[in-house]
Amino acid sequence: MNQQTNTEARQGKAKTTKTTFSRETSVSTTIGADPVIVWALLTHASDFPRWNSTVTSIKGEIREGETIELKSTLDEKRTFKLKIKEFVPEKRLVWGDSQGSRVYTIDKGSGNRVSFTMSEKIGGLLFPLFASYIPPFDQSFEQFAVDLKREAESIQKAKE
Amino acid sequence: MTTDQLITEFETFQGELKSFLLRMTASVQDAEDIVQDTYIKAQAKIHTFRGDSSLKTWIFSIASNLARDLLKSKKRWPETVTDICREEVLGNRQFIREAIHISQTSPQGHFEIKEHIAFCFTCVSKSLPLEQHLALLLKEVYGFKVTEIAIILNQTDAMVKYYLHVSRSRMIEVFDQRCSLINKQGICYQCTELNGIFNPKQKAQEELARIEMARDAENKSKQELFDLRMKILQELDPFESGAAELQLHHLEHNRQIMENYLEENK
Repeated sequence: MNQQTNTEARQGKAKTTKTTFSRETSVSTTIGADPVIVWALLTHASDFPRWNSTVTSIKGEIREGETIELKSTLDEKRTFKLKIKEFVPEKRLVWGDSQGSRVYTIDKGSGNRVSFTMSEKIGGLLFPLFASYIPPFDQSFEQFAVDLKREAESIQKAKE
Repeated sequence: MTTDQLITEFETFQGELKSFLLRMTASVQDAEDIVQDTYIKAQAKIHTFRGDSSLKTWIFSIASNLARDLLKSKKRWPETVTDICREEVLGNRQFIREAIHISQTSPQGHFEIKEHIAFCFTCVSKSLPLEQHLALLLKEVYGFKVTEIAIILNQTDAMVKYYLHVSRSRMIEVFDQRCSLINKQGICYQCTELNGIFNPKQKAQEELARIEMARDAENKSKQELFDLRMKILQELDPFESGAAELQLHHLEHNRQIMENYLEENK
């Protein structure tokens, strides 16, 4: 039973796909910055709250195999313990727990441009029981993409 | 390049190099040792210098590597370094006696608020991650370009830009929250407090009126105030200034306190 939303996958616009046993939200945007800068922003844990208005804090190191503790504006009372599952510099970062994974991908375009995508799929057999307690991610994802784009492009444009 | 040419050129920026290393290590001894080791290493490797960068960039690269080797195993200082050290100073009569003696007898013992602003930055910037600290000083105080810093740190231009942006943002935030010279709500007023010990009150007001960062604090943006703070550092040689002996004595005291503090708070 699919309840797919009809949201257009426009630049910076989040798209959510729902099934009975899962929900997946994704957002994509083009960023005018070197992938090194985008990757640095995504992997320096303690610096996240400075530029990313959707993250309250991240404790720990974003490195392959490490576990981080993330607090987000989606649910400020909760601390998410997330394992870094994949860490491919300047290309792909995956973190998550037993309920789902967040995937960040960076595709280098021409010049100093990258295509950035962030997606998160949560689900499992018990998903229908707790689905109604999980807030929608769309707005938070869109804000994340806006913040990342603004910060990365601001760094890229800095005077030499 | 011949050894004679190396000596001649090295001498033109040796002072800057030493001051850069002091601001990285917070130790006169370490700064002097690294300057010497840098020269020895440069002399031994001068045949490998191809002129792809300036000699100054190449030398700063050697020195930065040596500083990095020394500092990488040491913990970074906390942003509250000046608060922690102030508490210790209050209970250390010997330090106060020595400082007053220096101020009364040394030609380089004249306390100036401007000098303390530079001293304060040296301490607080040691809270930045090491690579960010190196990049920030090289760019904001010693005027290297991003491409030159990329050579010195063996990083990409993009990564250097990231370091500079993050470190600058962090320092702007820290000083905006702490420094009472630029923010009336700031919790740190040590420069004026120390001025009260070493100089009459009138002198503080006169001096603050001459320091653009303090005088125009309400009319300038955080970015501009940070640039003015950096201008103060650019114009001061911590080894040659009128307060050098007093400030270096204070810096050594802070360094020792920090080493003990970090050891006790492992």
